[in-house]
Amino acid sequence: MNGRTKGFNLLELIKKVVFTDFVKGLSITLGYNVSRSITQRYPDEEKWIPYRRWRGLHYLNRDAEGRELCVACELCSKACPTQCITVVPMEDDSGRGIADRVAKVWKVDLVRCLYCGYCEDACPTRAVRLGREYETACTDLASTVRRREELLVPQALAENIEGGVLVKSRLVRTPEGIKVEPDLRRHKKRSL
Amino acid sequence: MNERDDIIATQGITIHMGPQHPSTHGVLHLVLDLQGEKIVRAEPDIGYLHRGTEKIAENLLYHQFVPYTDRLDYMCAMSNNLAYVQAVEKLLGIEITERAKHIRVIAAELSRIAGHLMAIGAWALDLGAMSILLYAVREREIVLDIFEMLCGARMTLSYLRVGGVRYDFTDGCKEACEKMLEILPGRISEYERILLGNRVWVDRNRGVGVISAEEAINLGLSGPALRASGVKWDIRKDEPYLIYDRFDFDVPVGTNGDCFDRYVIRIEEIKQSMRIIRQALRDLPEGPFNVDMPELVPPPKPDVYNNMENLIHHFKYVSHGFKVPKGEVYSSIEAPKGELGVYIVSDGSEKPYRLKLRVPSFHNLQTVRHMSKGMYLADVVAIISSLDPVFGECDK
Repeated sequence: MNGRTKGFNLLELIKKVVFTDFVKGLSITLGYNVSRSITQRYPDEEKWIPYRRWRGLHYLNRDAEGRELCVACELCSKACPTQCITVVPMEDDSGRGIADRVAKVWKVDLVRCLYCGYCEDACPTRAVRLGREYETACTDLASTVRRREELLVPQALAENIEGGVLVKSRLVRTPEGIKVEPDLRRHKKRSL
Repeated sequence: MNERDDIIATQGITIHMGPQHPSTHGVLHLVLDLQGEKIVRAEPDIGYLHRGTEKIAENLLYHQFVPYTDRLDYMCAMSNNLAYVQAVEKLLGIEITERAKHIRVIAAELSRIAGHLMAIGAWALDLGAMSILLYAVREREIVLDIFEMLCGARMTLSYLRVGGVRYDFTDGCKEACEKMLEILPGRISEYERILLGNRVWVDRNRGVGVISAEEAINLGLSGPALRASGVKWDIRKDEPYLIYDRFDFDVPVGTNGDCFDRYVIRIEEIKQSMRIIRQALRDLPEGPFNVDMPELVPPPKPDVYNNMENLIHHFKYVSHGFKVPKGEVYSSIEAPKGELGVYIVSDGSEKPYRLKLRVPSFHNLQTVRHMSKGMYLADVVAIISSLDPVFGECDK
């Protein structure tokens, strides 16, 4: 009995000395060492195109004739849980908007915004949408407030483009700073 | 506090662990009284992330508060959404549709998987097994991709609404869930092989932070940590909400109540969540995903654009919200970290008169004092990680 216990302990000791338990775990880690990498090489080589429901940076829509869809009803600013949207209506019958009532000011404070998408749900004319732009990092507080003029410019990703893919991208130098320019022609699924 | 009386006691010192310590899961501040390297007293000092969530709720319409609940336990936002909307629905006395119930179950279980993966990953990282964090986050990414497809956000989801859900559960989401169910079991057995094979990791958890069942109940511990102490208490089984009573799943229970048991319970719960998702996907019925009550859920967008009546409903909903009958209600769910309860007092208006959140991280954290008494300083890290507190939730 005594000898058996001793032998058993010796076996355990040998196992501990040669690290058999660690080898089991390390075999997995080493296996990953030689397998294909799943790292996304963002931003200089690859970029993630979000799914279509993505709630990113806001934009304002125009109709087919180029008139602003916003009728300045202020529902978006009422629906907003953080009061980050300011709308000031004015009258303009020159055909700028689809109605005589248009927005004089439409601005959103992106640092207050929760990106919940309630403004999009509240809009009765589909004027305000949350787009798929997500690179909103900046160094000054002034550029976190986006005004109507900037938001009316169409975003790079149109609404009908299917998302959930990786595309090739490269860094380009623009007057506003370095930007990531995606190449939408070829895309691939994310490897899991 | 000495094991042997012949060793002279050193002078006790007090050290502060956190709030900037990398292994305190955010902003936990622990005041530790030490005798040598043993803990005499561990006192959590919380409140660094206090944002007054409960007070904010009093100034918002009922449906506007959902995005704030995302910011409570940000590792599994869907559970918080569920707890809140369920409380409001209980107060309103409405029954949601079958499809919405199934979608909610799938969403809640997905967020449980995401939460537990992060818990295990961060825990292993704190104890020095870094590769597990990288693997767990990789698998969490699969779940977050499903969330992104489903509701357009990865962490702050705001997916559920009073009366149903905001977007439909598409076939694409169903396929993604099935793909996840295929991939995940193999990956989880990998974690088990790495962690159970890691002698250091096992020894730092086994027998550490033991809490008895009786003490756990007295201190209000809930969730995986309570079940590890041998108490079979899971709100999904004992007070079924949604349609959990229809699904076949087990509640894993531990025996020793130490950190290692809490790890085993979490791994087992991920597996059980996958079982629930598989059954819910199989049973997912067709039909509407919102209740047919225009005052709670505004009509679908195409109808709003074309129909005057619907437009009026829409304006009314957005600008005034909906009135909730007078009364008070407490509703709780089994969140990944424990019992998440919402208590609402309504005065019959569109805003809650008072909203109280019973958050599991807060109640679980008070057991740190009992668990770490007489333990070594290094064990405190394992104890905190095994409770998995999230400070967005704890400090509210």
